[in-house]
Amino acid sequence: MALEDYRGDMEMCCRCSCCKFIPMQMVQGAEYSYACPSIAKYNFHAYSAGGRLNIAASMLKKGFNYSDKILDIVKNCQMCGACGVSCNYAMDMEVLEPIQEFRIKTVEDGHTVPALEKVITSLGNQGSMVPVTGKRGDWASGLNLKDATSKKVNVLYHVGCLTSYDKNMQKLAKATVNILQKAGVNFGITGDAEMCCGGRAYQMGYKEDFLNQAKKNMAMIKKAGIKTLVASCSNCYQAFKVLYDKYNLRGDLEVLHITEYIARSLNEETLKPSKKVALTVTYHDPCRLGRLGEPWIHWEGKKIPGDRFVFDPPKIYRRGTHGVYEPPREVLNSISGIKLMEMTRIKEYAWCCGAGGGVNESNPEFAMWTANERIREAVSTGAEAIVTACPWCEKTFNEAIQKNESSLKVYDIVELVEKAI
Amino acid sequence: MIAHEKLSDIVGAANVSCERTTLDEYSRDMSFVNTVRPACVVKPRNAADIKQLVKLANEILTPLVPVSSGSPHFRGDTVPSIGGAVIVDLSKMKRIIKVDRPRRVAIVEPGVTFGELIPTAEKEGLRLNMPLLPRKSKAVIGSLLEREPVIMPKYQWDISDPLACLEVIFGTGDEFRTGQAAGPGTVEEQWAVGGVQKAPYGPGIASWHRLIQGAQGTMGIVTWASMRCEILPSLEEPFVVGSSNPNTLLELAYWLIRLRMVNECFILNNTNLAAIFAKKWPDDYQDIKAALPAWTLFYTAAGYEYFPEERVSAYVKNISDITQRLGVEAAKAVGGVSANEILKAVQRPSEEPYWKLRYKGGCEDIFFLTINDKLGVLIEAMNDLAIKFGYPVIDMGVYIQPIVQGTGCHCEFNLFYDPGNPGELNRVRKLSISAVKALMAKGAFFSRPYGESARMILNRDAATVAVLKKFKKIFDPNNVMNPGKVCF
Amino acid sequence: MALSKEVYKEFEDVVGEENICDDPAIMPAYFATEFAAVILPKDTAKVQAIVKLCNKHKLKFRAISTGWTGVFPKNTILLDLRRMNRIIEINEKNMYAVVEPYVISAELQAELFKRGLNFCIKGAGSNCSAMLRGHGHLDQTTSADDRNHLAIEWVTPEGEIVRLGSLGSSDEWFCGDGPGPSLRAIISSAVPPGVTPGVFTKAAIKLYHWPGPSKLPVVGKSPRYTLREIPANMMARYYSFPSVEKMWQAELKIGESEIAYELMGFNASMVASNITTCNEEEEEVFRRISQEVQGPGFFVIIAGNSPEDFAYKKKVLEKIVSDADGKSLKSVEDPEIEGILLCQCVRISASIRETFRAGGAFNSIPIMGQRDLTIKWAIGAGEAKKPLIKKGLIVDDGGAFFGWGVEQGHLGKTEIFCRFDPLNPEAKKAVEEWRKEQCARAVNERYFADLLMAKIDESGPSLSNYHLWWRKIVKELDPNSVSPEGGPLV
Repeated sequence: MALEDYRGDMEMCCRCSCCKFIPMQMVQGAEYSYACPSIAKYNFHAYSAGGRLNIAASMLKKGFNYSDKILDIVKNCQMCGACGVSCNYAMDMEVLEPIQEFRIKTVEDGHTVPALEKVITSLGNQGSMVPVTGKRGDWASGLNLKDATSKKVNVLYHVGCLTSYDKNMQKLAKATVNILQKAGVNFGITGDAEMCCGGRAYQMGYKEDFLNQAKKNMAMIKKAGIKTLVASCSNCYQAFKVLYDKYNLRGDLEVLHITEYIARSLNEETLKPSKKVALTVTYHDPCRLGRLGEPWIHWEGKKIPGDRFVFDPPKIYRRGTHGVYEPPREVLNSISGIKLMEMTRIKEYAWCCGAGGGVNESNPEFAMWTANERIREAVSTGAEAIVTACPWCEKTFNEAIQKNESSLKVYDIVELVEKAI
Repeated sequence: MIAHEKLSDIVGAANVSCERTTLDEYSRDMSFVNTVRPACVVKPRNAADIKQLVKLANEILTPLVPVSSGSPHFRGDTVPSIGGAVIVDLSKMKRIIKVDRPRRVAIVEPGVTFGELIPTAEKEGLRLNMPLLPRKSKAVIGSLLEREPVIMPKYQWDISDPLACLEVIFGTGDEFRTGQAAGPGTVEEQWAVGGVQKAPYGPGIASWHRLIQGAQGTMGIVTWASMRCEILPSLEEPFVVGSSNPNTLLELAYWLIRLRMVNECFILNNTNLAAIFAKKWPDDYQDIKAALPAWTLFYTAAGYEYFPEERVSAYVKNISDITQRLGVEAAKAVGGVSANEILKAVQRPSEEPYWKLRYKGGCEDIFFLTINDKLGVLIEAMNDLAIKFGYPVIDMGVYIQPIVQGTGCHCEFNLFYDPGNPGELNRVRKLSISAVKALMAKGAFFSRPYGESARMILNRDAATVAVLKKFKKIFDPNNVMNPGKVCF
Repeated sequence: MALSKEVYKEFEDVVGEENICDDPAIMPAYFATEFAAVILPKDTAKVQAIVKLCNKHKLKFRAISTGWTGVFPKNTILLDLRRMNRIIEINEKNMYAVVEPYVISAELQAELFKRGLNFCIKGAGSNCSAMLRGHGHLDQTTSADDRNHLAIEWVTPEGEIVRLGSLGSSDEWFCGDGPGPSLRAIISSAVPPGVTPGVFTKAAIKLYHWPGPSKLPVVGKSPRYTLREIPANMMARYYSFPSVEKMWQAELKIGESEIAYELMGFNASMVASNITTCNEEEEEVFRRISQEVQGPGFFVIIAGNSPEDFAYKKKVLEKIVSDADGKSLKSVEDPEIEGILLCQCVRISASIRETFRAGGAFNSIPIMGQRDLTIKWAIGAGEAKKPLIKKGLIVDDGGAFFGWGVEQGHLGKTEIFCRFDPLNPEAKKAVEEWRKEQCARAVNERYFADLLMAKIDESGPSLSNYHLWWRKIVKELDPNSVSPEGGPLV
């Protein structure tokens, strides 16, 4: 659907400001009540979801006269979707989708941001969203893992750009491998042949580049006969599971996040964390595992003329209800010695780490500001460590902590599981 | 004589007096304000009379000083500040216009006293949220307009309560009705469709009654006002709690009011309680005072239509949990004064002579608003000052009235003195002025500035005064309404 | 008219370049107005400096808090008070809280719950500024309208800082009135037909006891939150009655007996809005509940300070309801639904479901004051909705109205609205006509005069000509005419 298809949704915005806050019933005080990093940082209403919808609706009416300010508003958003959850508590309207379409239109109209252009060029040239050093599969050298493109495996472990190339993140790939092996899973990787999922390109508004990656990935997966894909990166997870489905590319591929797979293994008792890990932690729900990890709902219909904003057939909205919230918590709670302290903003209304939507690349200062807010919230729980389930979150938190000299530790959930098994 | 004939034309010759003795009555009061003899006293019969009086006053630029209560007056607000004034004595406007039980509201003219309204309200099953033991001659409207504290803080949702709506003739001569009374239509038309004059706010965004309240007649003359009334309880259980520490009682009062368990609720020191209940002077007074604890909190738990015993017993149980925690005990009597006796007394105006005058014949009140936390410091400061000025602290009455459902309290020091003793009078006068200054410096808020201290009080808030003066210019451009009062 | 570079620079010097913007690109995000600039002051001093500059250059200005509604003349300087978001003080012992304009009600309430306190959240919802004047679900025990403000800090249209009441004299927030006449007479944060000129920068708000837990045990995922358990000594029920008269009888008695923590005169449609998660479900539930109720009704929360207090209140409630032939709605007795409603109606989190969700717009006639009188009028206004419902122009709510007693029935509030699709011109016009007719009837029959939509010159003559006095006040306060009227701000 294009931006104009959301005209009705955008005009439903009543400027109530709910998109700026977590759902009202979950507000626990003066602290940690804000949901949207963009408006929280930049304050002008234009930087809220409501503001963006109203601007887009106005441009649909009056023409797309781009200015630096418009581009600034468009790019300074992590596309984290918290706005949509809060809005959709009460309203039946799409929020993040028109914002995404606005972004796509901006790119299609040629109004791009140099920092993001650079990333997309690199994606085109080198197949990666992060700087490339060495080969993609170098991290696995000596591990003797199966090549899923040539050998029959039950599960393909898709590692992702950041985990593959970033020396500090490769430990996550190794931990994941270790866990899958301990669970006795017949899995493989695609190593140097692995390609970027394209999800982050999509968040930045580069729909064509995303589709290009998606098609290539699905062609390889189909060719290899992969039935189940496990991702340890929440961006990859959401791309394969939700975005590929949105564009009818996923087919019947089962997509699981590693936390879901571990939780399943725990239930089936193929994985038993036996070692104690004495640590008080708080868990950060990655946006694309949590609220945006909710399955895509295919729908096509028309507004029923009359008094209500209703459709034929009825439209079911993705309100963040069915994201992946419990499996990571089940996994953490299964580890002896771990004490989980929840933050105020969790699950469907979790605060973003700051890295999404191209902000990490186009406005690192804003990404850091957003991460710092989360670190502050994590520290307020009394936890020693913040645990997440996405390398992008871990990277951003680590950078923020280093700059602030905080003593808070950062872990991916697979690191803790690895310690426990 | 200023326009005597014109005044007679308006109110009738019988209602105009320029007799020296009559004028002398209005030229001074019990306060320390200067004696200024008015030129004339008129007693209007209705709103039309008042309207004409105000118009005349504007034509001949003559000050009007409205008076609703009978003497003795205590605050100086009814004594002219400048010569040549016409006293507008409203005591002849005595109609109780309406008492409406389902809507819990009464409407009265300015001359109606508490003693007159109470029985009429009771007949309908209603009661008034009263000030503490007003003098018999005190007009209900006078009390409402002065923002006097009331003894049932639970029912005082806003500091303007229990005033509801009013009709006023502004200093311009224009008639205006506030709140729901403003319209549409006349008051009678509103009644016809089932409306009463109760909602105080509006019309528009303003709450006009708040401009008239506290103005001491400087904005206009009120011709009638409505007040919210409460339901007459079917069961009342009064209690007293004595303590040497007023802060303990304040804490108890705080919880009683916060949990809305009590109706009447106030604190008196032994001097005041004895002054109210002594029957034989001076022996009885001294005996009672000696037998009383330094401070007494009085409260009543009440039940209404449904299962009143069960309600009261639930409250009594819950209150005892609090008193135990605070280490005090609720009782039915203290120092020979029974809680029932207090309850009975405070639901009526004071018996004659007025309780504040029984001890020595004169009484100077110093009163202000403050928050609970500051009260102790302010009482101490007042004690120190009394000592400094040679006024016996044990003779000083103290009345603490939690206000507006617990958002603060009214604190009143009653300095009893013999007006016939110039030394004593002078001492109290000096103490009074010094006390206002000293207490203000320690954070006391004198929200109702009267008499000699008014200017000093208002000087602390120049920004408010500047805005008030803009309003005065609108509603009384010729400054004919009680000039010299407040900051005008 | 854009600001000249020099003037822009003067404002920029006050707030810093990141807190002022005149780029037309951002304007549609606000309102359908071409603002001269949007400025984000951080504190009272900055507000004062901006207002003084506006006077110097004869520029109109208006301030918003959460900025939901408002009408603004072209070229207004918009003061977006978003950055003024601090809770200055919560004074438990003296039952007040002091807030800046961008503290929303949900934030303040959550802080208050931790201290066993609560305040009047306006019906517009807890997403709005805690400073707002108005009415809401909790009015029965938390009062309403202009009666919850204590001291207020006010930057006048000329840029003077006035600190009302005890604040101006003794630096305390507990009282907003005096010395002498009360300036609260003209201090109002959001009620038609306009607001007090100038800017409110801080306000003390009266607090009330909260008998519930320090945090409501909310469980579930958005959009379906409920309570894990109903808190001790609390109960929520919906009762319907055979007639409006019977309902009023029960409401009156509940007020007089001081037993309800909340009494919300919802109709079946409002109940459906609150407990459902989408339009289709709402329609279905409304139909079902409409069959279950016997007539008009209300939602009640009973909250005891102790088990005895709760038992007493419950017993009285049952007696009153039974005397008025009331019937409890079974759906609400289901603890999950009871939990949803209890949470919604204490945290005031479903206002948007009640109003905007269905069609995208609503047009309302709210009336403050005397409940029995306004009910009488509202019956007719409800009947007049039915032809519009039949034509499919407005959402079917059975022609209902809603309302409640304020201050345990001393005062009241009644409201009636039509929900419709704003993109349907026929519906919009029909609703506007309905509104006009019903408001005209209200004046002609002496019920009340509408102040929300009517022009001040139209309503003023029927209301003691208050508009003439108000104009004089505004002229005195705002000699440079820089603080325009422009409808209520929420």
